[in-house]
Amino acid sequence: MIGQILIDGITSGAMIGLGAIGLTLTCGLLRFANFAQGEFATWGAYFALLIAGALGGAAPLGPLTFGWPLLAALLISMGLTALLAWSLDAVLFRRLRRHGNAIVLVIASFGASLALRSAVEFLFGPEPYYYSRDIAMTLRLAPGMRATADQLVVLALALVLMLAMHLLLARTPLGRAMRAVSENPDLARLAGIDAARVVRATWLLGGALAAAAGVFLGVTVQVRPAMGFELLLPLFAAAILGGIGSVPGAMVGGLVIGIAEAAAVPLAGAQYRAAVAFVVMLAMLLVRPRGLFGGRAA
Amino acid sequence: MSLLEVRDLVAGYEPGLPIVRGVGFALDAGEILVLLGPNGAGKSTLARAVAGLVPVAEGTVMLGGGSLLAVPAHRRIGAGLGFVPQSGNVFAALTVAENLAIAAAVLPRAARAGRIAAALALFPDLAAARGRAAGLLSGGQRQMLAIARALIPAPRVMALDEPSAGLAPKLVGTVLAKLREIAAGGVAVLLVEQNVRAALAVADRAMVLVEGRVAHAGTAAALRDDPRVAALYLGGVRAA
Ligand SMILES: Nc1ncnc2c1ncn2[C@@H]1O[C@H](COP(=O)(O)OP(=O)(O)OP(=O)(O)O)[C@@H](O)[C@H]1O
Ligand SMILES: [Mg+2]
Repeated sequence: MIGQILIDGITSGAMIGLGAIGLTLTCGLLRFANFAQGEFATWGAYFALLIAGALGGAAPLGPLTFGWPLLAALLISMGLTALLAWSLDAVLFRRLRRHGNAIVLVIASFGASLALRSAVEFLFGPEPYYYSRDIAMTLRLAPGMRATADQLVVLALALVLMLAMHLLLARTPLGRAMRAVSENPDLARLAGIDAARVVRATWLLGGALAAAAGVFLGVTVQVRPAMGFELLLPLFAAAILGGIGSVPGAMVGGLVIGIAEAAAVPLAGAQYRAAVAFVVMLAMLLVRPRGLFGGRAA
Repeated sequence: MSLLEVRDLVAGYEPGLPIVRGVGFALDAGEILVLLGPNGAGKSTLARAVAGLVPVAEGTVMLGGGSLLAVPAHRRIGAGLGFVPQSGNVFAALTVAENLAIAAAVLPRAARAGRIAAALALFPDLAAARGRAAGLLSGGQRQMLAIARALIPAPRVMALDEPSAGLAPKLVGTVLAKLREIAAGGVAVLLVEQNVRAALAVADRAMVLVEGRVAHAGTAAALRDDPRVAALYLGGVRAA
């Protein structure tokens, strides 16, 4: 049973981690909690649904339920959602930032979240969609430890994206500039860093990774208008657990939340699954508000 | 025409609440001008306004004959102005090498390594600490890194806000002597200082700011011997 909890928890935790990277970065950079982050995952999932549909039904790859059209759709959807996140900043948050009131920004992001979710529901209706009607094949990894091939591929892709993001932050000039602006925006300006450009890059990256999380959630669960909204609490929990502004923190935080949620189902019952993220987040805020990786105090 | 010319500068954080209230000065290449004044006089605000971090309500800031006022803060280093702020003057979570690399990123690719090497030659302590997080440096190393960071892009004017703050008396002299070296290379240095004696010893000229206005200005030697400055600083208000 522990093996099963681990594999389920890590898979969903990897998706939470992906979505939380954008949240923790924008939170660290702009000092505001973006409640619309979850909707990027929803829109990413629906973009991929449309694109995969348009590309047509190719045969599934090996033991997977989906074929190359969904992989292509994943990439295009990441690009489109990146633009969506960037435009949301350009038309809404950037203007409000100029007047510099954190409460107004949070409320605006809440409004944006409602609007984005309603738009999806209006366009696609409330009923769930699936990328494939095929039944996912279950593999037995070890005694008492099963996973679908879909799940394993999604997990691998999520880990690759996380690693790529980590390398970008740790090794590239853009990543260095992102860390610099996040730590000290004034000093970054003095050092010649164009903070506005860094902020744009952050929205693009955060949107793209959230879209991937949404598509992966769609592959392993289903595509629904509320999927991103329901992801929001785990995203915040992961970001706070790892420390605001810390990308490795968001990844590890996501995994911890994912595993804790998966463990809650057999231990406390499925109805308490959603409460777990909340409890972990509260416990972290009380014990160590800077998070595991010592980011900014939440 | 001087390299840096500031005229009738009015600046502050909120509209209608000026902190700097009509300050003017000029600074030539190779010269050190020290800016003195009691706590809250507006020294940092003046330096930050020149650097583009505080809005300017009135007046002009000219560097090499061109106005800086329309230049956004992140382009001023490219325009030739380096600034070391009073607090938070290094990226603590980044390594020393990364701090230096960020500073060099505004230069053409071919010039970067050379400028970093030159800065490390001026501050040899930093070379040994390249891989360390800047937040773990000693107070002295930290100030050296902050100065190196501002120096790497080869600014024509360098402003420093209390670079000797919190340093042991011996280090104060070391840091200020480095500024003399930097000025000797043709850089105009605007130095905000609280260590009055040490600052007047390295500076060419001095200016005392009180409540956002220039209360005294003259050569460093003249201010050193001025009883009014002594009243303000050397056993007067400051020591109380
Ligand atoms: N960010 C800010 N917002 C609003 N007011 C500020 C801000 N920073 C400083 N002030 C105010 O501006 C005035 C001048 O402050 P400033 O920091 O320029 O003084 P200073 O001469 O550098 O003092 P010190 O010697 O203590 O560094 C003070 O009254 C201070 O309260
Ligand atoms: Mg000051």
